[in-house]
Amino acid sequence: MSIAPAELARTETTEDAAVDRPWITLVWNDPVNLMSYVTYVFQTYFGYSREKAEKLMLDVHQKGRAVVSNGPREAMERDTEAMQGYGLWATFQKDD
Amino acid sequence: MRKGDRFVAHLDEVEREVVVSLLEQTREFLAPVYREPTGDTFDDLVASLGVRQPEDPGLADPQASRDPALERLLPSAHRGDPAMAAEFRRLTEQGLRERKTANLATAIVALRAPDGDKVRMNLEQAQATVVALTDVRLLLGERLGLRTDEDADDLQDRLEAASEDDPELFLAAYYDFMTWLQESLTQALMA
Repeated sequence: MSIAPAELARTETTEDAAVDRPWITLVWNDPVNLMSYVTYVFQTYFGYSREKAEKLMLDVHQKGRAVVSNGPREAMERDTEAMQGYGLWATFQKDD
Repeated sequence: MRKGDRFVAHLDEVEREVVVSLLEQTREFLAPVYREPTGDTFDDLVASLGVRQPEDPGLADPQASRDPALERLLPSAHRGDPAMAAEFRRLTEQGLRERKTANLATAIVALRAPDGDKVRMNLEQAQATVVALTDVRLLLGERLGLRTDEDADDLQDRLEAASEDDPELFLAAYYDFMTWLQESLTQALMA
């Protein structure tokens, strides 16, 4: 099975998310990926609601990029790798 | 079309051959190392499925044959810190190639076993195929020069002015077909 299971995506709790979110995963706009597919990926991998996934997709499309997750560096590297596995143009960086 | 966890696509023989051929080309493009047939049936089967074996030298020098399309399929993961991007690539590229080629192989197997003109997939196959179609379209899109939203408009203008035998027209027709297929499958998966 090549699809990352959703339960891998988010292990942080609400408390540690607030104090430990120095890194972010970004998804960048590209002319190839379909709006429907990008929404599908955000729902499938992150377990986001349809509404949240569509909002992030529209941010990517209209603003050129969106922060799709935040947390410790290792988690952001994992998310970036997963997004690239889906064919999305993803990067990670320290939040500033 | 989705029926529970079963997915059905109506594709005639010519359409299936086009899709399989594009999937195979993409798999070959993403495979870390081209493997000569070894004569050993099992090894060849494993290799044909895009599964790498432990002794495979793999990506000793990935920069040596870096194609711009590869930059799109396996992009730099950090903008502004080449060392961090290189480290990420070193740790992830082999795994990403393996998963992508495995997705492509799953799609090829499903398309090669039609029931008349119906291609049937279970959920796992459909999930792998929708990702495989993305990589096919990224590769075709790169060959068509699609890097920004404006490029897509420029392409449309070029195609309208192109002569009938312009190879770009064929490439664009394949791209549009794959787009339609991926959109249909995505809608079915989200239904």
